[in-house]
Amino acid sequence: MSEAYEALSPDQSRALTAVLDEIIPPSRDGRLPGAGALGLAAAIEDKMREQPILQPAVVGGLETLAALAREAGAGNFADVAAGERVDLLNRLAADAPAFLPGLIFQTYTTYYHQAAVLEGLGIPGRPPHPEGYPVAPSDESLLDAVRDRGPVYRQP
Amino acid sequence: MSEETVDVLIVGAGAAGAAIAWSLADTRMNVLCMEQGDWMDPAQYPSTRLDWDLGRFGEFGLSPNSRGRETDYPVNDSGSPIQISNFNAVGGSTILYAGHFPRFHPGDFRVRSLDGVGDDWPIDYETLAPYYDVNARMMGVAGLAGDPAYPPKSVPLPPVPLGKLGETLAGGFNQLGWHWWPSDSAIATQEYEGRAPCINLGPCLTGCAQGAKGSTDVTYWPAATRKGVRLATRCRVREVTIGADGLADGVLYYDAEGVERRQRAEIVIVACNGVGTPRLLLNSASATHPNGLANSSGLVGKNFMFHPYAMITGIFDDPLEGYKGPTGCCIMSQEFYETDLSRGFSRGYTLETTRGMGAVSTSMLGMGTGRVPWGEGHHEAFAQLHDRTAGMVAICEDLPEEHNRVTLDPELVDSNGVPSPKIDYTLSENSRKMCDHAVARGREVLEAAGAKEVLGEPLLAVAGWHLMGTARMGTDPATSVVNEWGRCHDVKNLFVVDGSVFVTSAGVNPTNTLQAFALYVADRIKNNLENLFD
Repeated sequence: MSEAYEALSPDQSRALTAVLDEIIPPSRDGRLPGAGALGLAAAIEDKMREQPILQPAVVGGLETLAALAREAGAGNFADVAAGERVDLLNRLAADAPAFLPGLIFQTYTTYYHQAAVLEGLGIPGRPPHPEGYPVAPSDESLLDAVRDRGPVYRQP
Repeated sequence: MSEETVDVLIVGAGAAGAAIAWSLADTRMNVLCMEQGDWMDPAQYPSTRLDWDLGRFGEFGLSPNSRGRETDYPVNDSGSPIQISNFNAVGGSTILYAGHFPRFHPGDFRVRSLDGVGDDWPIDYETLAPYYDVNARMMGVAGLAGDPAYPPKSVPLPPVPLGKLGETLAGGFNQLGWHWWPSDSAIATQEYEGRAPCINLGPCLTGCAQGAKGSTDVTYWPAATRKGVRLATRCRVREVTIGADGLADGVLYYDAEGVERRQRAEIVIVACNGVGTPRLLLNSASATHPNGLANSSGLVGKNFMFHPYAMITGIFDDPLEGYKGPTGCCIMSQEFYETDLSRGFSRGYTLETTRGMGAVSTSMLGMGTGRVPWGEGHHEAFAQLHDRTAGMVAICEDLPEEHNRVTLDPELVDSNGVPSPKIDYTLSENSRKMCDHAVARGREVLEAAGAKEVLGEPLLAVAGWHLMGTARMGTDPATSVVNEWGRCHDVKNLFVVDGSVFVTSAGVNPTNTLQAFALYVADRIKNNLENLFD
């Protein structure tokens, strides 16, 4: 099915990157990058390549967004003034309802397994295996009250 | 294999099939096990990847209908509010289980006598107790002796650490004065019998890359094959065949290339779980057994029981380090296990606490509940949720009802054209009340532990892990499929050793009990070889 995939144009990729940065912008403290700046547009394109069924909604949404950008006097969504981009995306949600929810899902589920993001969250930016995580031994005195109650099962 | 007659043929290499294979190897009989799945490669488990959190949505998902594995068979569970969650491989569903390993209570074998519901088992706790001990050693069970919810029992390994999350929840139980205890877990907390120790990876439910979790591909099977048991993978058994003498004489199966083959055997043992076993028996209908094999009682496939699961999740102010540690094994509470009719239902449930979520799952929870918006405020909202969730599931005792059943679907087939199982299941009023009660009590304990908000889900749809009751045991052939040691009443060299034989379901995970039963059956076979078919 990958033959059916048609790569995004440079303009579409640029617009997609800008949209991703609106969905997940950089954090104010600078620890977490924006989804677009992180390069997730390429990951979204990879997903479309793997699952071409996703492509019509994404491409259709980007075409509608391009039209809205032109109406706003910009050649590309990426050229729309920062303060106006959210308004445009909200209009897009009305005009192309399948686009934004699907893209948000893909963005969230891709963004939150990037090493840079995990490290920004204070989690090691690596797979769990093979290093794992240390956990201190438990405080067994927590069980004193439970022991003091005695048996709590029925003996038939 | 087709020309050879083996002494014992076991169908299914999961929890029960592995245990009985290992035990029967003592006899030096020629034992062969056929498994429709394959050996798993732990290096492929999702915890080896950064996107491990997505593993449960792909080929390691809970449902055989969505995993896309040819080794699975599809299940029509559209007639049930709970979906089937099994797995087909060497190790069976233990590949994806949490490793929770409680025993049944003594009272669980005497439900009718104690509470006037369900039926009593034809065996009791004392019968299985020595086999629970053997199983704990073989599976490598971690826990803490002295749990006041049980008679004294052996636990070979120290418990899984509670972590900050577990100690927080323990504080909630203590504040309410409720029972709790570190979970008995089939998880090697130290190096054990060649298994590496648990290093708190987290996602046990998509396979343990460390090999610390006691799935039977790393516990019983290496020991069984060393003792001479042969294990043939990618062999999908279609039916058990019957000879002129009325005894089982082997099986018909499909090999990996889809070629139909025959394997002869003196004894056939079915260990395909509470759905796969009735499917196989019903698919083995013949002129002499028109309603399915071993089905003179008409009970094959009936009395199907799940464990209905409720889920309760708390959101806390502070980080809980919930991504560290076995996802499903932490602490459990049996405060509401025994019958108290003032609660509005008979029997009871166990609360099993779960660890936190990965970042991807957190984002999905945030998206699904509208708590984590896109755009402005995204990071602040995500931070309010991430590593701040802790919760529990309630595993509720389901009671047997004949109308809950497994039959053969008239249209759905697997990749070899074998009819698939169809599930018809209705949640009983008793179970529904139990789930509701569990959500309310779960809310109480999470709030006592400091949760600022609690989310309750009274019936978890994807939690059809425990499949029981569809070839129930008993002493009366009119009201049971197998006798008290797993031998079919109708076919005296045909045995069933999985959760199908359960008379009632108890309110705990069934793996330990069905394995103990398999070991018990193995001993009965070994001790009665001279007159096994009498």
